Amino acid sequence: MIRLENINKTYFGAQPLHVLKGINLNVEDGEMVSIMGASGSGKSTLLNILGILDNYDTGDYYLNDKLVKDLTENQAAEMRNQLIGFIFQSFNLIPFKTAMENVALPLYYQNVNRKKRNQLALEYLERFGLKEWADHYPNELSGGQKQRVSMARALVTQPKIILADEPTGALDSKTSAEVMQILREVNQSGITMVIVTHERGIALRTNKIIHLKDGVIESIETNNPDQIDFNQEIK
Amino acid sequence: MDFWQEIFIALRRNKLRTFLTGLAISWGIFILIVLLAAGNGLMTAVTDEFSSRSTNTYTLYGGFTSKPYKGHNENRWIHFTDKDIRLLENNFPHVEQVSPRINTSGNAIYNDRLNPISLNGVRPVFAKTNGVEMIMGRFIDELDEKNNEKVVVIDQTTQEQLFDFEEDPIGKLIFVNNIAYKVIGVWEGNPNSGGGEAYMPFSTLKKITNQNDYFMLNFTTYDLDTKEANEAFETYLRTQLANLHEFDPTDESSIYISSTMLNYLETNKILNTLQVFIWIIGIAMLISGIVGVSNIMRITVKERTNEIGIRKAIGAKSRSILASIVVESMIITTLFGYIGMWLGMVVADLSGNIISKAQEGNMVTINIVPSIDISIVLMATALLIVCGVLAGFFPARNAVKIKPIEAMNYR
Repeated sequence: MIRLENINKTYFGAQPLHVLKGINLNVEDGEMVSIMGASGSGKSTLLNILGILDNYDTGDYYLNDKLVKDLTENQAAEMRNQLIGFIFQSFNLIPFKTAMENVALPLYYQNVNRKKRNQLALEYLERFGLKEWADHYPNELSGGQKQRVSMARALVTQPKIILADEPTGALDSKTSAEVMQILREVNQSGITMVIVTHERGIALRTNKIIHLKDGVIESIETNNPDQIDFNQEIK
Repeated sequence: MDFWQEIFIALRRNKLRTFLTGLAISWGIFILIVLLAAGNGLMTAVTDEFSSRSTNTYTLYGGFTSKPYKGHNENRWIHFTDKDIRLLENNFPHVEQVSPRINTSGNAIYNDRLNPISLNGVRPVFAKTNGVEMIMGRFIDELDEKNNEKVVVIDQTTQEQLFDFEEDPIGKLIFVNNIAYKVIGVWEGNPNSGGGEAYMPFSTLKKITNQNDYFMLNFTTYDLDTKEANEAFETYLRTQLANLHEFDPTDESSIYISSTMLNYLETNKILNTLQVFIWIIGIAMLISGIVGVSNIMRITVKERTNEIGIRKAIGAKSRSILASIVVESMIITTLFGYIGMWLGMVVADLSGNIISKAQEGNMVTINIVPSIDISIVLMATALLIVCGVLAGFFPARNAVKIKPIEAMNYR
């Protein structure tokens, strides 16, 4: 699903910053992977490159067997729209749109008609137990509800891969556990998942933990999340 | 269809933002139009004030000679006769009709009412040379002059003294020094005199009073537009009259020549300066309007950077985001621009009416009635709208260029 070959990325500022130093990584179809590292380790940059939100300097990135390199903005937008669902720490919902409209928005950019859009959005909200909240605006929802809305939005286009950037960072431990439970279920339905986190408790709920330090992969830890009780709060 | 729905949802859900952006635009256009209207009104008022007088009137007064000349003693009174009129009308290509002025006074009597009156014998051109404003009826015409008609144009004061409020004075006979004159018109009167100034045909009064000497001549000229032309004309006039009356052409006190042309040229200069000034103010207003509108559009787009980032992350193409922002700003600027334009015109119109009402009945009026050329209004509004849209376009273009992740984290 994801293949990274010797990816390098440098931010050219007043002080050039070499953030990713030759990353090689494979993520198989249907895998659930977490990327751990201290702040400044390059994990967010890596996720942005995976999400085609940022470009890289050298190396090759294959997504779904297609080389992602030198894409025009439109091509990038199209790929994001077709293949990738994003979940963000700060939810990134549009404040003046209702839960349903937020979920339906990616479909708007796929030119799905309004009726179909709203119907699909409602279905996904129902899956996440938010049907009654469909007409509420983000500021009327709790953190957990907001994250569930953003998960519904990420899934509504039926992407191949979900990229989550600290998905539980803004949530309490109980809600975090709920969110991870949902992500687990999503993964089990066959969608590849990459989660960036700095919480061990989150990483332990994934199959593979990639430890990133100073722009290089320090170690890859194989993990069996089945031994974890997913209903247990994350400390 | 979907595209428009998205836009209207965005506008409706962001009422405050829409309203504030719109307000800035409406206000800019409103102020621009009101100011231009006021400037225009001032301009019109000043122009009107001067155009009611004929622009090229000459007035000649007879004086006393100060030097002996060709056997004549000094201190001789120079007065005008029919010879002067003929000379002026025949030998001066620039001179239109000449009106001498003679007068007599008495009491005007109508039924049992009486009012002092001053009868001035003038020719039809006098209305033009002296800017006589008629209220009703007509001024003396060539036929009255030719046929020695016993007709009179009275002023408003005389009308009020002799006639009842509802009574139509036109066609009524009034008596002055036992002669009956038919009233053919009423003019507004001279606010600086006590009233009673009336006009009648020169030929008629000349016959009645048997006057052959005229203390004053009025005439209008044409094609004398420059200072130089007028000065040359004046020199030539003085030589010709000196020849006729046998006085020294260099003797300035023999006759007095006054011309409104030089006054007019001076006024014109002021008016042109005023016009330039008004345009400068207008353009400055327009620029500040553009700056204001542009600024609010820029801020609005900045504020939406997060939203733009989110939309891009979930797969929106830059072009579609840009299109919706530009169309949104077009809708706002056009709608609110139109409202501002409309309000500005209503206010200009209303204040115009109020000022006109307030001035009614004043003897001396300067009517600063705000008024404005509709094509200027439309052009200014269109310019502001275009600038507003452009001002929204450029920051929006920059915003969609930012990487989604940076845009989302933008605070």
